[in-house]
Amino acid sequence: MAMLKTRRLETAKAGNRPEECEDASGIRFSESGPARVAVSDGASESAFARDWARILARAFVRRPMPLDGLDGASFNEWLVPCEEEWNGVVPWGRIPWHGQAKTRTGAMATLLGLTFDPASSPEGGHRWEAVAIGDCCMFVVRDDALSLSFPLIESGQLNNNPPLICSNPANNAGIGERVHRMQGDCLPGDLVLLTSDALAGWFLREHEAGEKPWRTLMSLDSYEAWRAWVDEQRNGRTMRNDDTTLVSVEVK
Amino acid sequence: MPYTADISRANPACFLFLIDQSGSMTGALAGQPGERKMDRAADAINRILDTVVQRCSQGMDIRDYFSIGVIGYSTDSSGNPRITSALPGTSPDQPFLSVSQVADAPELEERQVRESDGAGGVIDVTRQFPVWLRPQAELGTPMCEAFRTASRALREWAAQHSNSFPPIVINVSDGAASDGNPEQGDAQSITDIQTSDGNALLFNVHLSEVSSTPIQYPDSEGALPQDDPFALTMFRISSVLPESSRNQATSLDLVVNDNSRGYVFNADMTALVQFLDIGTRAASNLQ
Repeated sequence: MAMLKTRRLETAKAGNRPEECEDASGIRFSESGPARVAVSDGASESAFARDWARILARAFVRRPMPLDGLDGASFNEWLVPCEEEWNGVVPWGRIPWHGQAKTRTGAMATLLGLTFDPASSPEGGHRWEAVAIGDCCMFVVRDDALSLSFPLIESGQLNNNPPLICSNPANNAGIGERVHRMQGDCLPGDLVLLTSDALAGWFLREHEAGEKPWRTLMSLDSYEAWRAWVDEQRNGRTMRNDDTTLVSVEVK
Repeated sequence: MPYTADISRANPACFLFLIDQSGSMTGALAGQPGERKMDRAADAINRILDTVVQRCSQGMDIRDYFSIGVIGYSTDSSGNPRITSALPGTSPDQPFLSVSQVADAPELEERQVRESDGAGGVIDVTRQFPVWLRPQAELGTPMCEAFRTASRALREWAAQHSNSFPPIVINVSDGAASDGNPEQGDAQSITDIQTSDGNALLFNVHLSEVSSTPIQYPDSEGALPQDDPFALTMFRISSVLPESSRNQATSLDLVVNDNSRGYVFNADMTALVQFLDIGTRAASNLQ
């Protein structure tokens, strides 16, 4: 069976402190079961979004989501423990006036989750299944070419109103229509990249311009190199100044 | 491309509100018996400041993505301009506070409101409403002097934030300037101010007692109310909405085009502070 090698890089929006980063990611391997990877991006304009993104990413890698036949009802059911955890984190009695209305509305975040299942894998590879709500993206690179982009396929699809998951179930009506799923196989030598939206925008624009952006990302061999590269893109306005996350999965 | 600077704590944007506090603002708002223009102006400013602060609230904390100033203008009994800065600890020359300082400044009023109970019904609840500004109105309307004062303060702000999104000035008035015609240079003294991301923007919120049809972001003089003598000037001194703002407006379901200006007539102006992108919005799910 193929091995998976993962790496995670994250940096906060310039001007914010590292601990204010509202991107979250989770990676979890299991001896016998599926490996899971998730990226979640808390919506900046919602309250306690960082907590919500962390809860969602952690939940996806720890608690199986019923991907088979996933619909609004089963997704909302999966969310219930997440909502309870978020409600436990929020200091409801101490929220200042400006945070009260939006906290009642609930925190918002996107989620991209990826499951590699060895039990159903093709010879020498991995069967994968992905679920996405919002604009965190995954890219599959095979033979030095982009073979899949999910859930967005072009940079023009990005805006600041992506579909979101809310910590308040009253605001998740119709979420079944916002859940996208995809599945496929990956083989040794494949590269899978998961990104939050700012990096996804850069990646898609580069690819649309005929470049091979995965080469750039995989050449960043240290956290310092990653930070310097992110700063360069932000300063050159080739990438939005936003929390930025990259999780790479190399199939060996 | 101008008007695309990222807004962050390192590069905050700027809203400067100018409030007409002259005697004519005691007049009734068209179509709203019992509501004076001064009441609507103060209410609008309180709502808009509330909106800005809430946009920057993370729940417990505020992120200082904006500098905010509120300048009122009227005259004394001798006709001399009286330009005041409404936020605590500020002056007309130094009118700005950070959003977190603004959030600490209001009086909080408790009001009963009716809200959805989440199960198809409604309930009465007590909510806190922030009040920064009380209605106030007397004597003359030195709009030109207010623009010149704003211009001086903004020049200093722009020099200190040379890579920020350009300042946005929102002037709330019935348009009856008593110290000249702001079209003749004073409005331009604001819109001439630049950062590396473009020129300052001047938006106008026109409160009128002679026409009740609300108009938002008109694209031509032909779209203006014919019965208000000040609409033309207020429209002409209003900046055309930049592309980035039009995109935000469209995402808020507002109807705008390439020629739309930052001008609203007897209409809600809260959207004017929603035109700047500070990150992922939270409303796309909400009904």
